[in-house]
Amino acid sequence: MGVINETARDNQAPVARGAAIRRTDMRARGEPALWVLGGALALGIAMIAGFLALVAWNGVMTFIPKPIDVVTEIDGTVTAGEPFREELFRPTAEALAALTPDWQQRIAAADGYASRTLYRTGNFDIYGEDFRWIPDFNVTKRERPANFLFVERLEWGPFVGSIKSVTIDGMERPINSLDDPGFVAAHRASRERWKQANAIEKDDIGAINHQLEAARLELRGVQLNSGRDSAEYRQAQERLEAAAAVQRANYDKLAAQVEELRRLNDGNTVTFVAVGGEEKTEEMAHLVRFYPANALSLGGKLSVYFSRWGEFLGDEPREANTEGGVLPAIFGTAAMTLLMVIAVAPFGVITALYLREYAKQGRLVSIVRISVNNLAGVPSIVYGVFGLGFFAYALGGSIDALFYPERLPNPTFGTGGLLWSALTLALLTVPVVIVATEEALAAVPRSMREGSIACGASKWQTIRSIVLPRAMPGIMTGIILAMARGAGEVAPLMLVGVVKLAPELPVDGLFPFVHLERSFMHLGFHIYDVGFQSRNAEAGKPMVFVTTMLLISLIFVMNVVAIVIRNRLRRKFVGSQF
Amino acid sequence: MFKKFGAVCVLAGSFTATTVCAVEVDASLKDYKKAAGVEGSLKSIGSDTLNNVMTLWAEGFAKEYPNVKVEIEGKGSGTAPPALIAGTAQFGPMSRPMKGVEMDDFEKKYGYKPTGMRVAVDALAVFVHKDNPIKCLSLAQVDAIFSKSRKHGGKQDLKTWGQLGMTGEWAARPISMYGRNSASGTYGYFKEVVLAEGDYKDSVKEQPGSSAVVQAIASDKYAIGYSGVGYKTADVRSVPISANDGGTCFDSTAENAYAGEYPITRFLYVYLNKKPGAKLEPLRAEFAKFVLSKQGQTGVVKDGYFPIPSAVVSEDLKALELSY
Repeated sequence: MGVINETARDNQAPVARGAAIRRTDMRARGEPALWVLGGALALGIAMIAGFLALVAWNGVMTFIPKPIDVVTEIDGTVTAGEPFREELFRPTAEALAALTPDWQQRIAAADGYASRTLYRTGNFDIYGEDFRWIPDFNVTKRERPANFLFVERLEWGPFVGSIKSVTIDGMERPINSLDDPGFVAAHRASRERWKQANAIEKDDIGAINHQLEAARLELRGVQLNSGRDSAEYRQAQERLEAAAAVQRANYDKLAAQVEELRRLNDGNTVTFVAVGGEEKTEEMAHLVRFYPANALSLGGKLSVYFSRWGEFLGDEPREANTEGGVLPAIFGTAAMTLLMVIAVAPFGVITALYLREYAKQGRLVSIVRISVNNLAGVPSIVYGVFGLGFFAYALGGSIDALFYPERLPNPTFGTGGLLWSALTLALLTVPVVIVATEEALAAVPRSMREGSIACGASKWQTIRSIVLPRAMPGIMTGIILAMARGAGEVAPLMLVGVVKLAPELPVDGLFPFVHLERSFMHLGFHIYDVGFQSRNAEAGKPMVFVTTMLLISLIFVMNVVAIVIRNRLRRKFVGSQF
Repeated sequence: MFKKFGAVCVLAGSFTATTVCAVEVDASLKDYKKAAGVEGSLKSIGSDTLNNVMTLWAEGFAKEYPNVKVEIEGKGSGTAPPALIAGTAQFGPMSRPMKGVEMDDFEKKYGYKPTGMRVAVDALAVFVHKDNPIKCLSLAQVDAIFSKSRKHGGKQDLKTWGQLGMTGEWAARPISMYGRNSASGTYGYFKEVVLAEGDYKDSVKEQPGSSAVVQAIASDKYAIGYSGVGYKTADVRSVPISANDGGTCFDSTAENAYAGEYPITRFLYVYLNKKPGAKLEPLRAEFAKFVLSKQGQTGVVKDGYFPIPSAVVSEDLKALELSY
């Protein structure tokens, strides 16, 4: 009995001990926590990847040319348009009753659901709408004729239809194909002339305006300084009037040039005919591009696709931002972010240096630290209000009163602009830089500072040549984070300088070349504007995705550049580690 | 408010079955003619409803005068009067007439009232999802849907589509309401005309833009909301509205708006600072003329609003002491 007991205990003991060990092992290794953490990470990554994939997919697909369907309905209505999207819906009882038994059966078999397609019909100037839903059960015929063109115009959005006749230099010409060399050359020449006219207007006439405005302001300045009846004023007036007269003569010359280019373009027109027989004559210069949507080869598709991207990235917006490109917005976003970094980096680093290296650690410093951390949690719109009130109105208003009295009541710095936006965002992101820099400074080994001081270096010399270079990678991390946060921010910018349409870029060829007071366009605001403010929400949606993709890529590129710089710095110090 | 005015509606050949037609600009409006000696820069601050049209006008005006620079800011009608008073903007687009207080503030500084010109006609449409079969709503019903005060005398609070006489799957469904945020002139105008200055229900979901309202309705089958008729997409339907219970319902078309039959119709305005008796300087005068010309009104059509009839134009031109 005793023996048996012994054996039993011997047999049991290891099992029991093993189980106990395994249990402690699990806890010791933290496996449940591991699963939770790993799961959370996987979920987070899946969400980010899903979001990026959604944006990228929609962004990439937007510019692919789609075919044109010509759809005939039961009641004889004919619609031509790009199939935009499809969905299932439940037709009403009345609609069902009017259908053929065949369709009724099919819909009943599908649980009462039928499908319908949204067509982008274009031709807003003729129809007063650009999209139409057509239920499948109404369709009697669906064709894809090869002669139907998708025409992108400067005004009124796209046109869907075919060419009726072509007029070149005022003479109607028979056109056999779109590749007709005379037609292609005429279209190209018209577009060239249009671009040339635009360039004259923008650059040459822009420069004249700038000088005229400068002359007007100078005169106003003299008037403010010495009064309207003074001799100085009369002198200045005479001198400036003479200069202005020269400028105006130049303007007239340029305007005549533009007029001539426009007149030449008047003779080149294309008459299109829509599916219902309505005709529309357009100047060739106003046709951005047109293609036979149903007869496009792969090469043709690619060329349309990339030419659309080229327009989007390199052109200015048209038609209240719903068409054309986003170049000014790309430029504005990049300029504002860089300016913000220039403002935030020294400011944040100096603050952190003082807090960590010089300030006596005590209650006051702790309070300052807590305040800085709390700043990071203030809603961004509050920064916007602060920026508007303090920077634009108080600071900018005083600058205007002191330095630009001749421009009043038109504000120069006394309203939102590039500089105030950058400073507002710098305030918004400065806590990030301070915290990151402090951490980086704390991570520099004490032995290195002591070594440096033991060699006879002063405190500032130590900081400059030992501490700061070592902390640089950490500081760069903070700046990268600040940049990413700042570039994606929109709400405060709407108050301090971002506008829907800025007529000029903040950097141009006119003295003083960088115009920090100018309002600017921003990709984030562009997304908001196109998504929520434009007339045609349906047509705006794809543009929202494209612009979002662009904004994300822009931030990505800026981050990559910063990371590359940081890695260079790291490598520089890796060899000199103690 | 509106004189009878025959809108031209071209029914396209094969589109006879549908009511599809493009609104056309009053043919008796004058073509814009370029004037000499116009230069400088303009700034407009005001309504976001008019933001797109202002941008289209700016683009068109810059085409005529490449030496003029126009800058546009649209944060809401309420921002126009302060900008005009401070002189930071030359034009103040507003989606409602200026209030007495705003007029007084302006007068306090300049000694005269600002001058407004009517630049477009906007029918405020009541939108529902495209699958919503509702035929007609009276103003009192719309009031009872959106308002807790029911100043139009609706007897009961309307909460479900069933209360509006709809059957089947709709009967038990609650009405989901969308509207604009309170800074918007559209919010104010709807409150004034439809709610008779009553209060909105707290359950009205406020959206940041007119187009946002339409998009919200497009994705919510049981939704109702109001927005400018120009923002209509294929995903929503505008409900015909009658002024009185049991009266004839009118859809938000140009003809009904001009005839004054559609009850929620308003003018959109652009205000400017004009001293009575003094002529406007060429820059502002030409912009005002451009807006009221055939070209300017084509921009209005492009953005989905209705152009103003020439009778109104000549009235406003007289008020501005301008002539073609």
